[in-house]
Amino acid sequence: MNVNVNDYLAVASIIFCIGALGVLIRKNLITIFLSLELMFNAANLGFVAVSEYLNLMSGDIFVIFIMVVAAAEAAILLGIAIAFYREKGTINIDKANELKM
Amino acid sequence: MEALFYIFSIIAIFSALMVILVKNPLTSALYIILCFFALAGFYILLNMQFLAAMQILVYAGAIIVLIVLVIMLLNLAKAKDTIKDFHQLAVGVISVLLLFAEVILYLNTAGESKPTDIYTNAVINKIGNTQIIGQFLFTKYVFPFEVASILLLVAVIGAYIFAKK
Repeated sequence: MNVNVNDYLAVASIIFCIGALGVLIRKNLITIFLSLELMFNAANLGFVAVSEYLNLMSGDIFVIFIMVVAAAEAAILLGIAIAFYREKGTINIDKANELKM
Repeated sequence: MEALFYIFSIIAIFSALMVILVKNPLTSALYIILCFFALAGFYILLNMQFLAAMQILVYAGAIIVLIVLVIMLLNLAKAKDTIKDFHQLAVGVISVLLLFAEVILYLNTAGESKPTDIYTNAVINKIGNTQIIGQFLFTKYVFPFEVASILLLVAVIGAYIFAKK
């Protein structure tokens, strides 16, 4: 039984769905961020698998740009986490309710 | 190779599940490192050794260390987070199951596209894995490359402004 591109895409979609589930059910800002990273990585795995299957390089280059965006996002989100913690004394996102009617 | 694929899949999916299920954010951060190592194994199986090295260096080495540093700085290791809200859980699980069903349906019904023969494994191995990525980054993708550097600069300034008192 040979491993083909669909198996890689299935694993990538499972990891992506786990990440989406983490974003939806958790309330801790750090855990939500880690779930976002899982989704980024699932997308990366899909890019690399399809790029290998089609014998092209575009997907591999895109993975590098996704890593850059993830690093930028990490810096911004951790700045937000520090500011939020200073304001509220917690990082539970239920406490971010200033816009609540 | 198939055995390695299944081992890496099991490790990746298990550690991804543990990331979203454990209570302690520090434990989540450690499990996500395991997941990143399994994904680096996938990249090596897919003949992209440079990306595997970048995965470990950038993700496991830089981003997760940054997160662990913030957890330590804010003293969040004691901040337990329990999943209690039933409505949130139900909506999340149902919508993610729908998403997964859609993706699997798409994978099964999508039209097959034929592989090209431009950059086969033989060609990539002849030029060199790192060298070919470098060539692409500095010729065809030089504009996104420069935009990425601006993006990182903006992110650094933004993070400083956010974290500043």
